[in-house]
Amino acid sequence: MGKTITIKADDGATVQFVDEIIGSGAMKDVYFSPDKTYVVAFFRDDVDYNGQDRLKTITEVYYERIINKPGGEYWKKLFCWPDKTVKYNGKVGVVAPVYRNCFFFKYGSKNNDFLGIKGKEKEGKWFASASNQNRFLDKRERGQWINYFRICILISRAVRRLHAAGLAHSDLSYKNVLVDPEGGNACIIDIDGLVVPNKYPPDVVGTPDFIAPEVMATNKLKKDDPNRSLPNINTDKHALSVLIYMYLLYRHPLRGKKVHDSDPQKDEELSMGEKALFIEHPTDDSNRPDIKNIKQSYLPWADVSKVPYTICGPYLKDLFDRSFMDGLQETSKRPAAAEWEQALVKTIDLMQPCINRGCDQGWFVFDNTTKPICPFCKTPFSGKLPVLNLYSSRHGGKFMPDNHRLMVYHNQYLYKWHSNRMVFPNERLTDADKKPVGYFVLHQNKWMLVNQGLPDLKDMTEDVEIPINSMVELTDNKQILLSKEEGGRLILVQLVG
Amino acid sequence: MRRLPVYLLIDTSGSMRGEPIQSVNVGLQTMLASLRNDPHALESVYLSIITYDRDVNLVFPLTELPSVNLPEIKTPESGPTHLGEALKLLCKRMDMEIEMSTEEAKGDWMPLLFIMTDGKPSDLQVFRNVVPEINKRQFGNIIACAAGPKAKEEFLKEITDTVVSLDTTDSSAFQHFFKWVSASVSVGNRSIGAADDMQLPPPPPEINIVI
Repeated sequence: MGKTITIKADDGATVQFVDEIIGSGAMKDVYFSPDKTYVVAFFRDDVDYNGQDRLKTITEVYYERIINKPGGEYWKKLFCWPDKTVKYNGKVGVVAPVYRNCFFFKYGSKNNDFLGIKGKEKEGKWFASASNQNRFLDKRERGQWINYFRICILISRAVRRLHAAGLAHSDLSYKNVLVDPEGGNACIIDIDGLVVPNKYPPDVVGTPDFIAPEVMATNKLKKDDPNRSLPNINTDKHALSVLIYMYLLYRHPLRGKKVHDSDPQKDEELSMGEKALFIEHPTDDSNRPDIKNIKQSYLPWADVSKVPYTICGPYLKDLFDRSFMDGLQETSKRPAAAEWEQALVKTIDLMQPCINRGCDQGWFVFDNTTKPICPFCKTPFSGKLPVLNLYSSRHGGKFMPDNHRLMVYHNQYLYKWHSNRMVFPNERLTDADKKPVGYFVLHQNKWMLVNQGLPDLKDMTEDVEIPINSMVELTDNKQILLSKEEGGRLILVQLVG
Repeated sequence: MRRLPVYLLIDTSGSMRGEPIQSVNVGLQTMLASLRNDPHALESVYLSIITYDRDVNLVFPLTELPSVNLPEIKTPESGPTHLGEALKLLCKRMDMEIEMSTEEAKGDWMPLLFIMTDGKPSDLQVFRNVVPEINKRQFGNIIACAAGPKAKEEFLKEITDTVVSLDTTDSSAFQHFFKWVSASVSVGNRSIGAADDMQLPPPPPEINIVI
């Protein structure tokens, strides 16, 4: 074990680290504090005046603005935000919190952890690859499909927060986002490369797989060439779309069979840059993955005819279309992080547990058909399935459709963000609004909504009030008023099957 | 998914006997363990090892990382350094194993080649003949390692500009070298700098790069 070194941080605080590298990234070497509650990461190369000023701004100005204020506790979980800068032996470094325990493998790989990854960081690439999932990871690490939606919500929310502050991450990748599919957690790391537009230029162009086409296509130009595209908020949007696609479908949206050049490096530059083409483009199928040349361990995920992106539901399909068709070239068409967050939240409401207990994914997104089938294990849903269409009040008594559906399953909860359009489940949700206002049960073969906290609940079809602690049956075409407040919702029940 | 072929040419001549070859074995084990912890390398890296002394020996052909079974590498009592023959075998193996891109299918990434020696080629004629063959082939990178005081860098410079020299052939020197090899192999999923295209991670302080 190395000796403990004690230094003063630039803000005057005492910082200690054990002189033994615990990990190395592309630019930094990382050391533990003696009690392992924080790390000190030193840049291997010199950090120039601008770079130091940037680090100071991130650890002081933006730390105060995002982390160290009311509501900051929420963001502390989503970001590993450095809070101090240090200098030692001519090297510049930052002090950052350690990652939470859930971001280290508890079981690791299959066969009693034959790869020896137990205790190592849950780098996103382990999960964003069908082959790694199928061949290597212990089943207990893999988590159910619905947890990957939760992870994507957290990542989108974190990116939305950065962008709202005018910051671009500039190097979003599965390397810089830790995920915990078992618990549905995510955390953005490597915050020190943040780009403040027009103030601090980026020092990385990104990580292969996530570099935006315009950055890839102009990568050979000099850094100060006006035609060179460097990472910014719009390139973050591209990286975010790729991340979400990869975490939900375990494949890359642009890596198909199309060959652009016999030189692999040039081919890479073209297929990720100028010639980028969505593998599931509806009218141009030239980049579909070639199943004949794909190893078994990538299936079924690599087979876009078996696992098309449409299994992620209509809201995400629209955003994927915008990202990987128009948005590849026209950066302004790329969905914002907030759009992803909303679409993902709405998609979770469309999810249904698979009735096959042995189903690997456990959940699927309702496909708006009258005979829903799990797209993974092909088990059809049996029995009556209530689908609630949400309407909300605008201009007095008129209820307009919200393009938002809620699928019902046994013991599912109803929340304030369902009963009122003005409430959204994000970091601003109050503790009171986190409590369910009702739940659904299949009782004596009837679907019932039990009222736990909706004072206005009323069966409009039968014209009967449903007081708290009583229940109402969900029948086809029934209208139920959830709330009379501004933005209050009305549900229209459809029974499928 | 493209494969990244990685060839390791390891000197097993008589002078490597004892601590040096022990250190190489330890270094290879560490390298393999660290690559198996890398989800990116597990998907893409294919490894092959060729050893050379009087004989040239294909330890194992190009094999996907999870299936690699690393045997202990041994040295004979004594023996010359047939680096030329080893490079000849390498060319043959590459012609057999590397999948080139076609119009219909993507081939492999350009291979990486690591050559380690503690001396100089004893089969100079063969070496001279094979160098143009090597130079003709496309590599992502060739890194040669001149280990210990008797290693001759000038021959390696005929093959590649990147020659690293280890002052000693003890375990810590090799440990650092193989750590560097695994870092170079897994460079594919790292952030790329905006300033210039960085191919190799910085070498550890124990290694001097000869340019």
